[in-house]
Amino acid sequence: MRIPALVIAGAALALGLTACGSAGPSGSNNASGSPGGNIKIGMTVSTLNNPYFVQLRDGAQAEAQKAGATLTVTDAQNDASQQVNQVQNFASQAMKAIILNPVDSDAAAPAAKAAERANIPVIAADRGVNGAEVAQTVASDNVTGGKLAAQELAELLGHKGQVVVLQGVAGTSAARDRGQGFTDGIKAFPNIKVVAQQPADFDRTKGLDVMTNLLQSNPGINGVFAENDEMALGAIKALGAKAGKEVKVVGFDGTPDGLKAVKAGTMNASVAQQPTLLGQQAVAAAVKAAKGEKIEKTVAVPVKVATTENVDEFKIY
Amino acid sequence: MELLRAEGLRKRFPGVLALDGVDLTVRAGEVHVLLGENGAGKSTLIKMLSGAYHPDEGRVLLDGHPVHIRTAGDAQRLGIATIYQEFNLVPELSVAENLSLGRPPRRFGFVDTRKMHERAVELLARVGVDVDPRTPVARLGIARMQMVEIAKALALDARVLIMDEPTAVLTTGEVEKLFSIVRRLREDGVAIVFITHHLEEIAAIGDRVTVLRDGRSVGEVPADTPQDELVRLMVGRPIDQQFPRERGQAGEPLLKVTGLGRKGVFEDVSFEVRAGEVVGLAGLVGAGRTEVARAVFGADRYDTGEVTVRGRRPAPGDVVAAMEAGLGLVPEDRKGQGLVLGADIAENLGLVTMREATRAGFVDRGGQRRAAAEVAEQLGIRMTGLAQEVRTLSGGNQQKVVIGKWLEADAGVLILDEPTRGIDVGAKVEIYQLINQLTASGHAVLMISSDLPEVLGMSDRILVMARGRLVGELSAAEATQDGVMALAVAEVAGPRGR
Amino acid sequence: MAANVFLRRSWLAENGALAALVVLIVALSLLSSDFLSVTNLLNVGVQAAVTAILAFGGTFVIVTGGIDLSVGSVAALSAIVLAWTAAVAGLPWPLATVLSLVVGVACGLVSAALIAYGKLPPFIATLAMLGIARGLALVISQGSPIPMPDAVSHLGDTIGGYLPVPVIVMLVMGALAAVILNRTYVGRAMYAIGGNEEAARLSGIKVSRQKLITYALSGGFAAVAGIVLASRLASAQPQAAAGYELDAIAAVVIGGASLSGGKGRALGTFVGALILAVLRNGLNLLSVSAFWQQVVIGVVIALAVLVDTLRRRGMS
Repeated sequence: MRIPALVIAGAALALGLTACGSAGPSGSNNASGSPGGNIKIGMTVSTLNNPYFVQLRDGAQAEAQKAGATLTVTDAQNDASQQVNQVQNFASQAMKAIILNPVDSDAAAPAAKAAERANIPVIAADRGVNGAEVAQTVASDNVTGGKLAAQELAELLGHKGQVVVLQGVAGTSAARDRGQGFTDGIKAFPNIKVVAQQPADFDRTKGLDVMTNLLQSNPGINGVFAENDEMALGAIKALGAKAGKEVKVVGFDGTPDGLKAVKAGTMNASVAQQPTLLGQQAVAAAVKAAKGEKIEKTVAVPVKVATTENVDEFKIY
Repeated sequence: MELLRAEGLRKRFPGVLALDGVDLTVRAGEVHVLLGENGAGKSTLIKMLSGAYHPDEGRVLLDGHPVHIRTAGDAQRLGIATIYQEFNLVPELSVAENLSLGRPPRRFGFVDTRKMHERAVELLARVGVDVDPRTPVARLGIARMQMVEIAKALALDARVLIMDEPTAVLTTGEVEKLFSIVRRLREDGVAIVFITHHLEEIAAIGDRVTVLRDGRSVGEVPADTPQDELVRLMVGRPIDQQFPRERGQAGEPLLKVTGLGRKGVFEDVSFEVRAGEVVGLAGLVGAGRTEVARAVFGADRYDTGEVTVRGRRPAPGDVVAAMEAGLGLVPEDRKGQGLVLGADIAENLGLVTMREATRAGFVDRGGQRRAAAEVAEQLGIRMTGLAQEVRTLSGGNQQKVVIGKWLEADAGVLILDEPTRGIDVGAKVEIYQLINQLTASGHAVLMISSDLPEVLGMSDRILVMARGRLVGELSAAEATQDGVMALAVAEVAGPRGR
Repeated sequence: MAANVFLRRSWLAENGALAALVVLIVALSLLSSDFLSVTNLLNVGVQAAVTAILAFGGTFVIVTGGIDLSVGSVAALSAIVLAWTAAVAGLPWPLATVLSLVVGVACGLVSAALIAYGKLPPFIATLAMLGIARGLALVISQGSPIPMPDAVSHLGDTIGGYLPVPVIVMLVMGALAAVILNRTYVGRAMYAIGGNEEAARLSGIKVSRQKLITYALSGGFAAVAGIVLASRLASAQPQAAAGYELDAIAAVVIGGASLSGGKGRALGTFVGALILAVLRNGLNLLSVSAFWQQVVIGVVIALAVLVDTLRRRGMS
């Protein structure tokens, strides 16, 4: 008797939780009575387990509200096959446009094609889609961002010194592009030597551990480039009082914690993508595409370098 | 006609000389009994013949030609099949599928089910067993599973059939059935190597006997050799008495069971066991004896009735309460339920007393160790030390450990379920003497056993179960094998009646 | 003769991991001049701490023949609960810390209840808990990091600018685990249950209750690990310690425990966690490429477990 009761209680709990979870999008459906309210847009985000994409979503939601469109957001949890399912679901829900933030550029083609078959325009956000046509790609350029980071670090160091690079998850496009941009950019400064490049998987704790280890083998370094702010924040922990002073730190992403560190002076600069802006532009393009208006093939959302001087211009959540 | 011959086989494992010169000749159409205490080298020998081990020295000849048996596949091709105590069947598959395992008849690339069934029916008929080939093996009893194993060996055209203690798991009636199958195979010219611990079976089924002792073959004798002589060959010394029961005066009842029942399993079971008494519980396998024992001990629940142990009434299904009242259970499945095989002797002996030896959450391990050393000494457990893993002990010594943990806990009432199954003659007698010591010091013993001579030789009273009911009680003086069997197979209605 | 064999085997069983650690340390000392310094070795200790504490908790579970996949998520949830109740709800930090430990223990109890009473396999029950705890951490934190109270963050600091507190916490938790496993009823019952659950039950050990305690301990240790992790960063992160459960399991198994239960020691687990940390540290010092690092770590884990299997095959 006890076991069935337990099972039923568990099932009820699970159902209750699911009901709460789904109340979000359906609630917003009913609330929007404005003229654009019949434009239904589906958006699949690669992961919401990362503040950057949370901001991307927030920007998109704000823009949707402004335009009076109904936006349904799903989380692909970094699983490309789940993302394909989500796009197929959008198609069967008769969405007028789909915003696809690919988990992986190469693996996103089946998802884009699923939408294409249903004649629904696709806006690729933040990352492109390889091997399929999309109506528009809205992205900030990671390679350019990497170059900007190299220039910024070189300026901070007075064009000479020893630097280390904290790499993201091996094999991801962000790690590849940012690393490539940085390597290209730093070549212009022959007196700056990259003494080590080690992976810390975009993770703050690993940034701390790897930086600690690198300080053992390279005590003389005076610059760090981290391929995202999380790792930069870990490195700052490892550097202690030296962070931002004897050792210059440049991060990437301009996340709220990252910008706080820039403001506090422990991080010297963060190459800020503007995820909020990116989300806004993606929705704006989606609304246009849904109405059948013509839109640009690519839109580059500018990256900006946040430094101690200009950090207040950036929005800190 | 000589079919199989092994000469001077030697095998050394790290630290142990398992076989030290073993000779064996088996003729076509004979039942050749392999006799020896546990650890004498029987298992090593048959594993060599079936390709699991390779001899360091010596050779094996088949039809007079030397052969190399390197794998189980080699043995199969040579026509040597082995039936181990642990069956080699897939329980989820049907009898027919098991019989064709690995080489089912095919038609257009698909399994030809009809042909597979035909083949199964034919094989089962040859063994003389009445089983529907579509039945999943898991639903057969142990005896019929064994017959399926034999049929499987025939399917491989086995000329030599090795059977490792096939009767250990069978009841008397089933043993008779097995013997008739074995005799039929013998008439067909199959050479059978038969391992058993039951001396009385040797004359009944065997032709010749090879006796192993300490890794050597110490003699080849005819099967009608007197049992005393066989025992002397096996243990190297004569054993005075097979059942040394010393009966005393029974005291007050320590265990009282009234009207115990569990739906569909057993019902209305009432008996008592007195201090200083051994009560035997006899019956066929499946009569419900083990189930009653487990229910009394609290290992399983029961629906009706009462258990009283030394005036206390442990709640149904509460092992701890039963233990605290003074009950102990030595389960039927020694390795599966009695021992933590990977733990050492001290740990196993202290398992039951651990709770009492705990103060504020901490176990007094020093005290536990001293108590274990004492019990090990008292039981004469042959070991390298208390830190030896019980996995590496012989069956008899393992059983002593299981009994020992209840001695250490000073359980007043011991339930022994098949206490000597799979144990060699020498160790059996030691366990019987232990039972004598227990009863002499006022303990009560309830002993389940399928070995009739053992039940008759060791019990003061004998209870007989059939189909989930207690069908009779005999005193030691009046009980005979025939009398017990007559009750055990009596046509009574019970929860397990057909 | 037989005694000799037994001794030799147990020497290998007890010291296989230790021997591997020594080999690794000698090799790295030769390959990198920066490796063998007090500071670097203390760094290794700090970096091993979180995995080691998780793995001590995991040792309890693995000794009983179970597995706990939820420890990484539970660590993150416990840290988030501490930071949230202190920073957002305004509770005093000692109360917040106690609450966080209670949450860890509660997660373990829920898993154990599913296992002991719901008869779910431990793999599934704790896989469910892995999702539930991580999800709750995200729900409470709204997906963003929460600063840790300063008083608690000292756990991530050093004493006298030299002795790292995480190392001390690790040693204390390790000693605690060793005492529980070796000396207490609960610990000895874990070995009996893992060795043969039915024999343990028939010897009067209340198996279900002992499992509750076992998983509760695992959850409690995970909470401590989560607090240490968050203290090092002075920030509790909802996505922290993701995947750490696999490192913890690897550490336990490298340390000589058997996934089939009944075997395992706190000291072995400690050595297992050190091997992983030394390996990662050494790979950084040697500037091994990102791609090869994963290969090397995988090979070391496989080798360690291979030794375990060969050892067991030798015994049967």
